[in-house]
Amino acid sequence: MKIPLRHSMMSRSSARLFRPARHICSSSGAKRALGTSIPKAATPATSPSPSPPTNPEGGEARPRRPLTKEEREFLSSALRVNQAGELAATLIYTAQTPLVTRSDPHLKPLMKHMYDQEVGHFDTFNSLIAKHRVRPTAMYPLWSVLSAGLGWGTAMMGREAAMACTEAVETEIGDHYNGQIRSLLEMADRMERGGGGMGPELKELVGTLRRIRDEELEHLDHAVEHDAKKAEPHWLLTGFIRLGCKGAIYASERV
Amino acid sequence: MHPPTPSSGALRRLGTQRWTTAAKTSRQCAAIHMTTRATVPSTKQTLPSHAVRAAVAAPSSPTLPTVTQTAQRRTFHSTDHPPPPGPFGATESALLAAAYQHVPEHGFSSAALAFGARDAGFPDISTSVLPDGEFGLIRWHLELRKAELAGRAEEMFVGEGKGKEYKIPEKIEMLIWERLTGNKEVIGQWQQALAIMASPTNVPVSIKHLAELADEIVYLSGDKAVDPSWYSSRAGVSAIYASTELFMTSDKSEGFTDTRQFLRRRMEEARGVKGALGNVGQWVGFSAMGALNVARSWGVRV
Repeated sequence: MKIPLRHSMMSRSSARLFRPARHICSSSGAKRALGTSIPKAATPATSPSPSPPTNPEGGEARPRRPLTKEEREFLSSALRVNQAGELAATLIYTAQTPLVTRSDPHLKPLMKHMYDQEVGHFDTFNSLIAKHRVRPTAMYPLWSVLSAGLGWGTAMMGREAAMACTEAVETEIGDHYNGQIRSLLEMADRMERGGGGMGPELKELVGTLRRIRDEELEHLDHAVEHDAKKAEPHWLLTGFIRLGCKGAIYASERV
Repeated sequence: MHPPTPSSGALRRLGTQRWTTAAKTSRQCAAIHMTTRATVPSTKQTLPSHAVRAAVAAPSSPTLPTVTQTAQRRTFHSTDHPPPPGPFGATESALLAAAYQHVPEHGFSSAALAFGARDAGFPDISTSVLPDGEFGLIRWHLELRKAELAGRAEEMFVGEGKGKEYKIPEKIEMLIWERLTGNKEVIGQWQQALAIMASPTNVPVSIKHLAELADEIVYLSGDKAVDPSWYSSRAGVSAIYASTELFMTSDKSEGFTDTRQFLRRRMEEARGVKGALGNVGQWVGFSAMGALNVARSWGVRV
């Protein structure tokens, strides 16, 4: 009942807003359309290994070329925006958890599970940012305040709204990670063709992004399972949050 | 989509070739220079003594330090892809490295550049290829000294983990001091250089250099913070470095001990400010969480 209702009530502009969401969250097969063959439990360390023959570790291949300015800028802004995103995610869950678990104590393990995964992602990107000497976003304090406010606000509106918030954020984030993986694979392709290939740390980054993307989409599934679609008015809430996410991604990539 | 990439690598290789030929010619030309050296624009040196020095300096020129390969950029630092080409082209490097040898005597001036061009085996007029003239020479000094820091840091902190432990602020102070000692050779000319750096067209590049230096110092100190303190630590190092550097230009004490004391006082102040700000922040956060939890314990649904 609820889902067809949502579709019939959607205005044309919100339909446009939702199109990528449907292609991501409608079927779990299409969800992993970007070809991750890694099972969920796979560690990032194992994922880059399937292509050892092209790896110039043997010494006979041409040396790796330096990264171009565009590539370095892409990688910096990618790591910067990912760190900001995971910071926001941990703060959203931190703010939501006390309110959600008080009204629905059975959600405690789920909230803890999602929070722990987000903390893991945040730590991953923190160490990557430090290792690659990327500048963290200057909007850090603003994102901290806004995301904690978003988490608290949606949790105040009830469990459904909190889950709708998760649904909206994770949809946007899933899209965003897919875009980054796509760019990285294109970059790897260019490097293979140009000789030298891609360094192990970048291959590992692809694996890390795939793992994190899958975990984020898992959160999306959890949110939908826990009545995210029952939030009122669902289209307005998710549309608003996704617009905010898009704006935050745009800003964090730049400053 | 990225055609410049292979060609930029090739250019760099080409550049090193040019560099060695330039060095060779400089050796061959040193003798000629001794005879042809006539007037150098806007200087009144005694030429014979200088010509002798040039002849001595020229053979050693292939070992002149160069920053073409070692320079690090701030965006995405990769450990298994080679670093991107540095900020100076091969010809520019050859010219500037040679000219830099004349800075202690002639300052960051067109005279030093002209002497450098001769040493490197280029005609005098070739200094006009440098887009920013004397400022290019200053940039060379800045890049060179910054690039040296990483190696010096390894030497300085070699005892770490084996009984000797440094705190991050201590390491930052050591690194700032190490970088300042890199100015010793040219300290007599450094006020003039600061004036050139402060001229309006050069200010953006000068500030960028200061920021890069601060980033390098904080990175080498092992500070891995990637929260907003990333900005405050770099801003603090920039401010301390810039003020100490300025102080050093007018320091007449033996071994720059006054500058060392000045630096130590600035570091103490920064520690005090950082501690106070941290305490205030912690107190605000703690009080806010406390208030929220008290409200929750009263049954308020927040």
